[in-house]
Amino acid sequence: MFDKLILLDYYPQFLQGALISLQIAVCSSTIGFILGTVLSFLQTSRSKILKALVTCYVTIIRGIPMLIQITFMKYVVFQAIYPQASVIYIAICAIGLNSGAYLCEVIRSGIQSVNPGQIEAAKTLGFTKMQIRRYIIFPQAIRAILPALGNELITLVKDSSLASTIGVAELFKNGSNIRNQTYDTFTVYLIMGLLYLIMTTSISFVINKLEKRLKKF
Amino acid sequence: MLEIKNLNKAFGTKQILRDLSVKIPASSIAVFLGQSGIGKSTLLRILNNLETADSGTVILNHETLDLAHIAETHKVGMLFQQFNLFEHLTNRENITLALEKVLNYAPEKANQVALELLNKYGLGDRAENYPAQLSGGQKQRLAIARTVALKPQVICLDEPTSALDPMLTNFVADAIQDLAREGFVVLVATHDTALLERLDCQIYLLKQAQIAETAVSQDLRAHPEQYPQITAFIKGQHHQ
Repeated sequence: MFDKLILLDYYPQFLQGALISLQIAVCSSTIGFILGTVLSFLQTSRSKILKALVTCYVTIIRGIPMLIQITFMKYVVFQAIYPQASVIYIAICAIGLNSGAYLCEVIRSGIQSVNPGQIEAAKTLGFTKMQIRRYIIFPQAIRAILPALGNELITLVKDSSLASTIGVAELFKNGSNIRNQTYDTFTVYLIMGLLYLIMTTSISFVINKLEKRLKKF
Repeated sequence: MLEIKNLNKAFGTKQILRDLSVKIPASSIAVFLGQSGIGKSTLLRILNNLETADSGTVILNHETLDLAHIAETHKVGMLFQQFNLFEHLTNRENITLALEKVLNYAPEKANQVALELLNKYGLGDRAENYPAQLSGGQKQRLAIARTVALKPQVICLDEPTSALDPMLTNFVADAIQDLAREGFVVLVATHDTALLERLDCQIYLLKQAQIAETAVSQDLRAHPEQYPQITAFIKGQHHQ
């Protein structure tokens, strides 16, 4: 049975955990988006070396479980370069780098969805390559990939639970601690599940609104 | 005056343009006629640095053009077969974007120029619409306005009627004549003989990578027998 006393007694921990999860998702998706954008433009460049490097990065990151990447980031990378780093930053960094590889493919498909004729028209009008990317390609690519970006953000909210393995006090970690104290798996996991559901449906709602707004052209 | 001298272009082993040379005076129209894939569009694309010529020179008003950087000079403009308008921008923004970002106009001045051009081309009431909301003819007028806004000296039109209803051929011909009257050197690549019949222009028939025959449109209409290749081409198109 659902024990509402657990909710009343522990709601600050649940909410704090949810906020940390959201923080990890938003920060890592921002890193992922910036990295993915850079990688996708490199992948659509003419340089074979850059293309090969990007392909290599994407293949490695997508081929290895995120759990291994987060653990490797904490116990190998950060242990070597900055052992005092906060675990939350390490998690954001690892998840962001992972997201970048996935978003690279998504953004690349968005770039390729832009009619090449528009790029030619922009060239003849005297736009520089950077201007063409900024004013012509990017706004249209974003519109095309917005649903996929929303999905990625939702995935990251859920994947943020993996940060618990390196000690980040996010929603899953806090919930697990509460369960260890109360032994009420049903209530605790139900509350956790609902909180994840509220976060993901809220993101879906915002993305849908954005999509409708951008549909005007 | 636009002078193209000994222009050569090959794609792999296929020679597309061989030693092509023409002189086109200002305020005039040159129509490059020929079958699809003969090199008409390639010529226009070379003039806009969308393709690179293997050799040759292009001189505009006694100045040799550096085709590799032609877009930066805004001397040559291009109108595409499919118009290639920026679908995510309003009709007004399609014109103002290049004015602001390429010519560094202040937004107010760019808007003013854009609205003047939209009014001129009968799109004044569609300024805040998007290209997707325009008809084919309106899209073409917007494309013309966008190109003219940068004040080029040469305007290239690649198959200007192919994406339009044949009923609009008269309108396109008028628009091309107007561009020439305004002082532009106008180059048209087409295989649309209906358009050709409505233009006062110099015709160049391209065949086997070269200009096979040339004629002034009025002479051609008066004495078609003197221009057997162009006449045969026109008849051939009519029979298709």
